Amino acid sequence: MRGAKGNAKAMLQLKLMLPLLRKEFLEAWRDRRALIMAVSFALLFPAMIAGGSTFMIKKKAEEVTRVAVLGGAQAPLLTEKLDGPGFEVVSLDDGEPRSLLGQGYQLVLVVGDEFDQRYRDFLAPPLYVYVDSSNTSSGRAQRQLQDRLAALQQLVVTQRLVARGVATQVLAPWKLEVRDVSTPSARGALLLAMVPGLLILTLFVASLATSVDTSAGERERLSLETLLLQPLAAWQIITAKMLAVASLGWLGALMSITALVLLMPLMPLAELGIQQATTLSGVFTMGLLLLPLALLVAVLQILLALRSQSFKDAQTQLSILQIAPLVLLMALDMAQVSLEGSWQLVPLVSHQQWLKDLLVGEVVSVPAMLAGSAVTLLCVVAAVLLGAKALRRESLLSAA
Amino acid sequence: MIQVQGISKSFAGQPVLRDLSFEVPDARITALLGANGAGKTSCLRILCGLLRAETGQVLVGGIDPAREPQGVRRQLGVVGDREGLYERLTVVEYLDIFARMQGLSGAALKSALASVCEELELQSLWRRRMGGFSQGERMKVSLARALVHRPKHLILDEPTRGLDVLAVRLLRRTLLRLRSAGTAILFSSHVMPEVAELSDRVLVMSQGRIVGRGAPDELIAETGSENLEDSFVALAYGERTRMAEEVV
Repeated sequence: MRGAKGNAKAMLQLKLMLPLLRKEFLEAWRDRRALIMAVSFALLFPAMIAGGSTFMIKKKAEEVTRVAVLGGAQAPLLTEKLDGPGFEVVSLDDGEPRSLLGQGYQLVLVVGDEFDQRYRDFLAPPLYVYVDSSNTSSGRAQRQLQDRLAALQQLVVTQRLVARGVATQVLAPWKLEVRDVSTPSARGALLLAMVPGLLILTLFVASLATSVDTSAGERERLSLETLLLQPLAAWQIITAKMLAVASLGWLGALMSITALVLLMPLMPLAELGIQQATTLSGVFTMGLLLLPLALLVAVLQILLALRSQSFKDAQTQLSILQIAPLVLLMALDMAQVSLEGSWQLVPLVSHQQWLKDLLVGEVVSVPAMLAGSAVTLLCVVAAVLLGAKALRRESLLSAA
Repeated sequence: MIQVQGISKSFAGQPVLRDLSFEVPDARITALLGANGAGKTSCLRILCGLLRAETGQVLVGGIDPAREPQGVRRQLGVVGDREGLYERLTVVEYLDIFARMQGLSGAALKSALASVCEELELQSLWRRRMGGFSQGERMKVSLARALVHRPKHLILDEPTRGLDVLAVRLLRRTLLRLRSAGTAILFSSHVMPEVAELSDRVLVMSQGRIVGRGAPDELIAETGSENLEDSFVALAYGERTRMAEEVV
């Protein structure tokens, strides 16, 4: 009998909460400014990643080191051997190195006047490389030229020794070869490492305007007082607000994931040696994983905004709040903290790890995801209760 | 009936209400008069359960708002000192939502909405979003929200502020009809002719205390004044002057 009474009361409470939910969702989804902000950020960052990677590949493909050689007639073989893929060698009869560096050449190689004669006499003729170190691409060009000259030098030494009957193995105790063992997905992880952080940031940015409007905004307009005068529990008001705010944040994150996955085929990932490994189930899992986090972000933003003195104050505080998690995640990344074990239960940190793995098609432990999500939901419940307490504060009312 | 017995309240150690007692009987319009800072809004907020009194007791229809705020809010209609509207909702959405929060549904909801729409002449505003409404339109919608669930008690905090003549007339007509229907009405105002015309009883507040109570004519006679405004000044500011003299 008592159980039936309790159920009826719970049903009534739920029934009274539905119109409140409708009000919060209508208010949130009709706020054009908040929607534009949410959609813009959600689409902007995948577009930036796609554009950025395309630009990187294009730049890499088009990257040619231009080298001017002065006095190249003294060393025609050298000039000929330097030419090759990624190098454009132009032999000039005269010119001034400084002015040539200002004319689009990254390096100027000056061959000394008596190079030919000194080379024949084994007198190590000098070669001068002119470089403008204030030019950002000069360092890479200089390294490339030095590598090529070193390889050429090694070839000449070998030939000279062979001509004198010396075994070249004497000069080369070992042969060094570098082999890249990274998998395509791992290389993808490197490129996409910033995506989880940006997805989490999307949750904050996409819901910021709504969270301020529904809490500090309502307080300032005194419509919050009207709401508090209704026969509803404070936790119901906070929950309805949280759901409306989270819906925008979550939608923003889902849009970002969708845009990213749709843009991936257009990105020149293959040219970077990356195969697209994000699976459909991975995308679906990412969406589900972000839901509890969207709720937590929403309720935390509402809590902070309710504590603010004004609408403007709330905006400032929340702008700082949205940077904080990114700083934390970056700090953990830089400190190379091992994020195994109990870290998997920490909201944000665990989400970043899971998203990173899912993006590159790695398998993520389902029990770990369930446990981590349960912890996040517990944090949500605690934050809702804190929010309900904040709503009961007398200082919340303007004139009080 | 609303019963207030010996309530006190202070903010940051500053007393706002001091041992306040009064009654708001059913089927009567009671006006609460007081200068700015007299404690009117704090008093009304305690009646609604938004603030808690430090001493004393409040009963709204026999229910203590401090103990059972939700029970009190079901039988209370409140128009605050600002309208508390949502600019992105239409009038019908707004009223429908608040009526449902009060537990109305089905035919009762439909009938309640139709009734407030007609009584407060909201037809032309019905499907318009509330952003950009005039002060009069905002007040009408706010009053409709307070009345849609047909509360037994109505509290209005300066309801005529910024209203034009037609809106004031409509408000007056509505309040008189509600009084006839048995509603206990408590409203605060600064507009003396309106208080004199509308109210059955007047409570004059000063420095958090009731310094005068009675029918408008009784107060005028009691203070030997020519009208309610003079009577109010004598009661409210005379009291303040007297208290200042006591301190000196």
